[in-house]
Amino acid sequence: MTEKNKYFYEDLDLRIPSRLSNDLKAIFEPQAGVPPEIDRAVMDRAHKYFSAVQSSQGRRRRVHWAWRVAAAAAVIIFAFSLDLTKQTGPITESFSISKTQAIDIDRNGRVDILDAFKLARHIESADRTETAWDVNGDGQIDRSDVDMVALTAVRLDKGVI
Amino acid sequence: MNKITTIILTSICLIVPVLAQRPEQDYSTDQPGVRFAPLQIYIDSGSKSLAAYQFELKAVAGQIKIVGVEGGQHEAFKEAPYYDPAALANDRIIIAAFSTGKDLPTGRTRIATIHLQIIGDAEPKYELKLIVAADADAKEIPAEITFEKGE
Repeated sequence: MTEKNKYFYEDLDLRIPSRLSNDLKAIFEPQAGVPPEIDRAVMDRAHKYFSAVQSSQGRRRRVHWAWRVAAAAAVIIFAFSLDLTKQTGPITESFSISKTQAIDIDRNGRVDILDAFKLARHIESADRTETAWDVNGDGQIDRSDVDMVALTAVRLDKGVI
Repeated sequence: MNKITTIILTSICLIVPVLAQRPEQDYSTDQPGVRFAPLQIYIDSGSKSLAAYQFELKAVAGQIKIVGVEGGQHEAFKEAPYYDPAALANDRIIIAAFSTGKDLPTGRTRIATIHLQIIGDAEPKYELKLIVAADADAKEIPAEITFEKGE
């Protein structure tokens, strides 16, 4: 601020003459307040709008919950259908009965525990093996093939093999 | 609202049939005349060593359900034997086991224990049939199979 300006601001009288003030008021002051009926109508519309928004949100939330309950029910049904509580034997692998043609190891016309026993002995002694003895088709002849032969031997529904 | 009703009704329609099937698999002891008893199975292979066996057990009188199978007394057959899981909750089972070990039992030995649920007051009768018994060379040997009822 320069020396000249300083003196200028000190001398300036900031008071507005009352006449000018009255004229300005007459021009810019609102002519009348908001009538109470308009005020009420605005409030009513606002209230209606927000209650509609709230109720649609509540409905959406309820639908979401219903879907969650339905999803949980579907999971429970799936778990029951798997029957996870059912007790199983030593091995529960399932396989096709057509495989049993290949697991009559001693070729005596029936599959019994001796076929599994003989296969286990072959594997343990590491002597000759036949590709047909790969009962589960995993490319290896091992204990899992022996288990499959044994499980075929004890199947209740195998009939005459 | 309609959506919620549809979802709930669909869930009920799916759950009810599933739950309705469950009681068949329960092993309830609350029913009158239901008890559990083990059945000890023995094989007497005489002087020959027993390396493998297979037998079938079924109830010919009375009402039973097989609820579990355990291995035997000798180390060679201590592990749970092979059986079809479908035999559980049934009255017929085929059981088999083998051992490739050197230590094998001779004479009379307990080879398995079958746990049964007996329904009703009638004493069940069993038919036990030895399908095969073999020695360490996988050769069939003569043997006798018997059972004893446990408490």
